Amino acid sequence: MISAVGLGKRFRSLTAVHDLSFEVGDGEIFGILGPNGAGKTTSVRMLSGLIAPSEGTARINGMELGAQSQAIRAITGILTESPGLHDKLTARHNLGYYGRLYGLRGANLRRAVDRYLGVVGMSDAADRRVGGFSKGMRQKIAIARALLHEPEVLYLDEPTSALDPSAAKTIRDFVATLRDAGRSIVVCTHNLDEAERLCDRIGIMRGTLLEVDTPARLRRRNGTASVSVELVGARQPASFLDLLGDLPFVEGARVVDGTLFVEVTDPRGDNPELVRALVEAGARIVAVREEAVTLEQVYLDMVGEVGERDARPIGEVA
Amino acid sequence: MRPGFIWAVILKEARDLLSNRLLLGAVVFPALIFAAIPTGIVAFIEVNELDPAQLGQIEQYLSQFPDLSPKLAAQGFIVLNFMAYFLLIPAMVPMAIATQSVIGEKVARSLEPQLATPMEVSELLIGKAIASATPAVLATWGVFLLYGFVNGAIADPALTSLIFSDVWRVAMLSLVPLICLLSVLLGIIVSSRVSDARTAQQIGGFIVIPVIGVAVAGFFSGQASFNMQQVMIGNLVVALLIGVALVIGNWIFDREAILTRLG
Repeated sequence: MISAVGLGKRFRSLTAVHDLSFEVGDGEIFGILGPNGAGKTTSVRMLSGLIAPSEGTARINGMELGAQSQAIRAITGILTESPGLHDKLTARHNLGYYGRLYGLRGANLRRAVDRYLGVVGMSDAADRRVGGFSKGMRQKIAIARALLHEPEVLYLDEPTSALDPSAAKTIRDFVATLRDAGRSIVVCTHNLDEAERLCDRIGIMRGTLLEVDTPARLRRRNGTASVSVELVGARQPASFLDLLGDLPFVEGARVVDGTLFVEVTDPRGDNPELVRALVEAGARIVAVREEAVTLEQVYLDMVGEVGERDARPIGEVA
Repeated sequence: MRPGFIWAVILKEARDLLSNRLLLGAVVFPALIFAAIPTGIVAFIEVNELDPAQLGQIEQYLSQFPDLSPKLAAQGFIVLNFMAYFLLIPAMVPMAIATQSVIGEKVARSLEPQLATPMEVSELLIGKAIASATPAVLATWGVFLLYGFVNGAIADPALTSLIFSDVWRVAMLSLVPLICLLSVLLGIIVSSRVSDARTAQQIGGFIVIPVIGVAVAGFFSGQASFNMQQVMIGNLVVALLIGVALVIGNWIFDREAILTRLG
């Protein structure tokens, strides 16, 4: 379990991260979304015991950041932004080196290396030097390296970047099995689709976490959902706008390209009443759909708002 | 300090070095060349009659070998005089390996995943230092042994005794590893400030200047070789410089500085 309270990091006059507070439970995947320089990498480096926070505290599986950073690093797996492999060594030797640094020895080490080469589909290339590998192959080896010592806490920075769709799905599925095994996982990504599919909760970050919620709740961040109502017949859709304005559960309505768009707070509860009122008023309804607000829209709205509002210096350090 | 971590780093660095033929060549060839030049001169003297006039020019040196014939004394002077250059190997080679190692890590951005493990920065640096210094120490010792026995075989066993004197045995066992360590530390410090290995090696190359200076000064002072007192002073000076380099290295290489500046 990860628990951060008021975590912050300054580099001289530059504030990279401030007031970072959140929890990631056992068996949870927490996604961090944010633009470049938002402080994602700095946050992960602090939480994984790589750099000391300037302010705040954090506990990782009950261990305190700072005093027990070495022990925290021992139970943490990290996929860094860049694979950072040793090009002159083979894939097996790369993993063997890190396995030793994580305390694996002898048969346990060999077993772990073979297992995770298999998990990422790289067994056939195990004895080739990684210097000759493609970007995707290097990423797979870096993922295997992060998993090698069966870490209880896992930080993955852009885990499926450079991977083909099939390999990306394999990795996503494997990360999901790690969640099922009770690991706490933090995923930093720009891939909103991946965040939505993989993460139980998402934090949108820009210097600090602006919002933390489930992907579904984030999509309804402004409290309403848009329902489209497609009509046929002689009456113009706009002629129903006054009626809709009188309905207490309708927050707004408009017509776009001949379709009515109605803002309601609870589509499941409100839609039957909406349909009944329109039919009673003479509307001939062809279809009613809840229009999905994408996570991308929410993300862009939120990051854009803060970008305009927040003059706090957020550096490119991260 | 946990030996398991240091050993893991040494093993990895050794694999890296063994796969880099160019760097491996840079370890062995300078040592062989420094040994080959005086050995060639000794062989030349052995098969040629020396002109007494030429011998007269180096008479002050020959007088340091009263028990040897003029010809053997000339050979003794040559083998001992060139031995100062043996100190160039520990000055140059470890620096080449260390700069290649640190800058290689910077370019590959492989320091962060290593520092994310339970290993301490000091364990990483000690592993790197040992891995960079060991090939040079072994190359120097190996060529030193070869130098002694080959010259003894070419000319006279007396040359082997001169080469394996107490002074040079002490210098090989103390001064050579100390110079190696200093060279590695300077290589690491320089590497933290530049972004390519060649520049680092060029800057770090200044370390050889004092060694060459000592060798040249020895020649002009009329000494064929170092004496024990000079070796001990050399040990002390290099040890002090290592202390200074350690302080600077420790300051430069804290975990946070590596990640935010070196990446």
